[in-house]
Amino acid sequence: MSAGHYSLEIRDLVVRYANNAVLNGISCAVRRGERVAILGASGAGKTSLLGAINGFVPAVSGSILVDGIEVTTTGGRALRELRSRVGVISQRHDLVDNLAVHQNVMAGALGRWSSWHALRFLIWPLREELNVAREALRRVGLEDKLRARTSSLSGGEHQRVAIARALVQDPVLMLADEPVASLDPALSHQTLELLCRLADESGVTLLCTLHQPHLAEHYFERIIEMRGGEIVRERKGEGRLDARELFPALGEGI
Amino acid sequence: MRIVEQFFPPELSLHYLRAALVPLEQTLAMAAGGILLAVILGMIAGIWVGAGLPGGKTTYSFLAAIRSFPDLTLAILCVVVIGIGPAAGMLAIAIFYAAAIGKIFSDLFRSADPGATRALRATGASRLSVALFGLLPLRHKDILSYGTYEFESALRCSVIVGAVGGGGIGTELIGTINALDFRRATTIILLLIALIAVIDAGARRVKQKPGLLLVALPLAAIAFWQDRPTMLAFAHSMSTFAAMLPPYLPHSAVMKLPGLLLETAEIALGGTFFAMLAGLPLGLAAARNFAPPWISLPVRRMLETLRAIPEIVWGLVLVGAIGTGPKAGVVALALHGAGSLGRLYAESFENIRTEPLRSIAATGARPLAIAGFAYLPLAVAPLAVHTLFRLEWNVRAAAIVGVIGAGGIGQALYNAQQLFFYQQMAAYILITGVIVGVVDYASGKFRQDMGLMERYA
Repeated sequence: MSAGHYSLEIRDLVVRYANNAVLNGISCAVRRGERVAILGASGAGKTSLLGAINGFVPAVSGSILVDGIEVTTTGGRALRELRSRVGVISQRHDLVDNLAVHQNVMAGALGRWSSWHALRFLIWPLREELNVAREALRRVGLEDKLRARTSSLSGGEHQRVAIARALVQDPVLMLADEPVASLDPALSHQTLELLCRLADESGVTLLCTLHQPHLAEHYFERIIEMRGGEIVRERKGEGRLDARELFPALGEGI
Repeated sequence: MRIVEQFFPPELSLHYLRAALVPLEQTLAMAAGGILLAVILGMIAGIWVGAGLPGGKTTYSFLAAIRSFPDLTLAILCVVVIGIGPAAGMLAIAIFYAAAIGKIFSDLFRSADPGATRALRATGASRLSVALFGLLPLRHKDILSYGTYEFESALRCSVIVGAVGGGGIGTELIGTINALDFRRATTIILLLIALIAVIDAGARRVKQKPGLLLVALPLAAIAFWQDRPTMLAFAHSMSTFAAMLPPYLPHSAVMKLPGLLLETAEIALGGTFFAMLAGLPLGLAAARNFAPPWISLPVRRMLETLRAIPEIVWGLVLVGAIGTGPKAGVVALALHGAGSLGRLYAESFENIRTEPLRSIAATGARPLAIAGFAYLPLAVAPLAVHTLFRLEWNVRAAAIVGVIGAGGIGQALYNAQQLFFYQQMAAYILITGVIVGVVDYASGKFRQDMGLMERYA
C-alpha cells in the first residue's frame, strides 16, 4: 500500500471537545481521484472530520496522512504547505465580503506566495495573476464577475467563487463541507455537478459532506455514512458513471 | 536618539521620591476638593433646572457654555486670576465639573417619567420638594453612575491642570523639564502612570459600590480647606480679571487667526493619521486571535502605557525634548492616539467573522497575507468608526495641547498669557470655546444621523 496510491489515509482517529468524543476511532482510505460523499445528520462528526484533515481540529490520537504526509504531528511551515494543497469549500459565507471577486479567487494562491507578494497583489495585481483568476472563474462559469463586489453575488455564485478559489490552489484533495446546504434543489444539482466535473477534469480527490442521501448517491462513487462520531456503513454510489454520461469529453483530459 | 537617552534611567533616589510625594498629595487633594465643590454646585444647579424654577433655562445655557471650554483652558484662566498653585487647579476642576454635573443632572431630571412627579405635584407640593422627593429618588441610579464617571474624569484632569501652573504633579513635571532634568521627568511620568492605574482601579471599585464615595467625603472637605483660595489676593484677582475685558485681538493677530486654526486642524489630522499608522500593526499584534500570547501580552501592556499618559503630558515631554511648535503637538496626539486606537483596533480584529478567516487560513497563507486578505477587509467598518471618533477627539485635543507650547490656537493663547496680553488671551479662550462647542455639536449631530451613538474616551 504505497503512499502514492492514496490521497487520504485515516487510522483510528479520535477527536474530543471538552471530553466528549466527537470522532470515535475513524479509519478510512481514499484513492487518488476518488469522489467520496460523507453522509450523516447534523452532529454526526462530519465537519470535525474535515477540520481534522487540514489540521484545524486537533486529534487526540490516531493518524491522518494527506498525500503521504502526517497531519496530526505537523505544524508551522509544513502545515501551511500541506494546507496549500487542500482546497476547502464550506457551507456558505466563507468569502471575504470587502474584497473583490478576483481577490477572493486569488486567495487560493496565498500558500505559494510570499507575504510581500500577497500584499502587493491586493494593491497592484499583475496581468498574469488576473489571467489566472479569469481562467478559474471561466471554469466555474463566472468569467464576467472578475472585478465584481463579492457582496453582490447570489448564493450559487458565492459557492462557485469558492470553488474557483480552490481550483487556483491546484489541490491534490478538495474538502467540501455541506457545499449545497444553503441552496435550493436546482442550484444544489448545478453546484454539485460543477464540483464533480471539475474534480474529474483535474484528477483531484473530492471528499464532500452531505445530508441528502439522493444527492450523495447521484454524484459520488463511494458513500461513507456516519453517526455519533463513527463510520456505520460504506456503500457504492452511481456517481462516476453518471458524470461520464453527462460529460462524455472527460476521458480526453483537461 | 540622544534625546531619548537623556530620559533614562529615571531618578529613583529615596530623597527625590520623598520630595515627589508632596506634589502627588497636592494632586489628590486638588481633585478631591474640586470634585466636592463641583458635586455640591452641580447638584444645586441640576435640581434647580430640573425642578423648573425661575431662571432655569438661562442656567442651563450657561452650564452648556462653560462645558465648551476645555478644562485646561479654564485652568489657565484660574491660574491668571488667583495665581499659580493648587487653589487654581482646584477651582478649575470645580467650575468645569460643576457645569458638567449640573448639565447631566438637569438632562436626567428633565427626561424622568412625568407620571410620578405629576402625582406628587397633585398633593400641592412645591416645585422644589417635587424635585427633592420625586426626581432625586427616581433617578438615583443614573445619578450615581454618571457621578462616578465624572469623578473619574475629574481625577484624571487634576493630573494635567498642573501643566499650566495649577499645582500638583503636573507643575512638578514642568519644573523638571524646564530645568532640563529629564531623568526626574521620567520619574514623575512613572508616578503619573501609577496614579492613573490606581484611579482606574478605584473607579472600578466605586462603580460596583458607590457607597465608597461617602468615605471620601470628609477627606475631600479637609483637602478643600487645605487648598482653599486665600482672600488676601482678592483685590489683585479682580483687577487681573478686569484687565481681560473686553476680549480684544489687534489687527495683526486677527490676520494670523486663519493660519492658527489651520495649524490646529493639521495637528488633529496629523496626530490621527500617525496614530492610525502605528495603531494598525500594534492592534494586529495585540489581537489574541492573530498573535501568540508572547507577542500580544507585551504589546497590550505597551498600548496601555501609551494610553495612560495624557496628550498634555506627552506634549510637555516633547516640547522639552524637541522644542515648541506643531511637531510636538502631532507627535503627542499620535502617541496617545496609537495607544487608544491600538486597543480598539485589536478588539475589532478579535470580533471578525471566523468562517472567512478560517477559509483564508486554510489556503496555507502566511500570517501577514492572512492579515491583508482577512483581518483588514473583515474589520474595515469598525476600524473606520474608531478612527473617525479619534479624529473628533483630536480636534479638541489639538486646541488644548497648544497651551503647553505645542502649536496652533492653544499656543497663541499660551504666548498671550506669558506676555500678560490678557485681552488677547481672553479672546483666544473664547475662540477655543467656540471651536470645541461647534465640533461637539457637529459630531454629535453626525453621529445621530449615522446611528453611531457609542461614545468612548
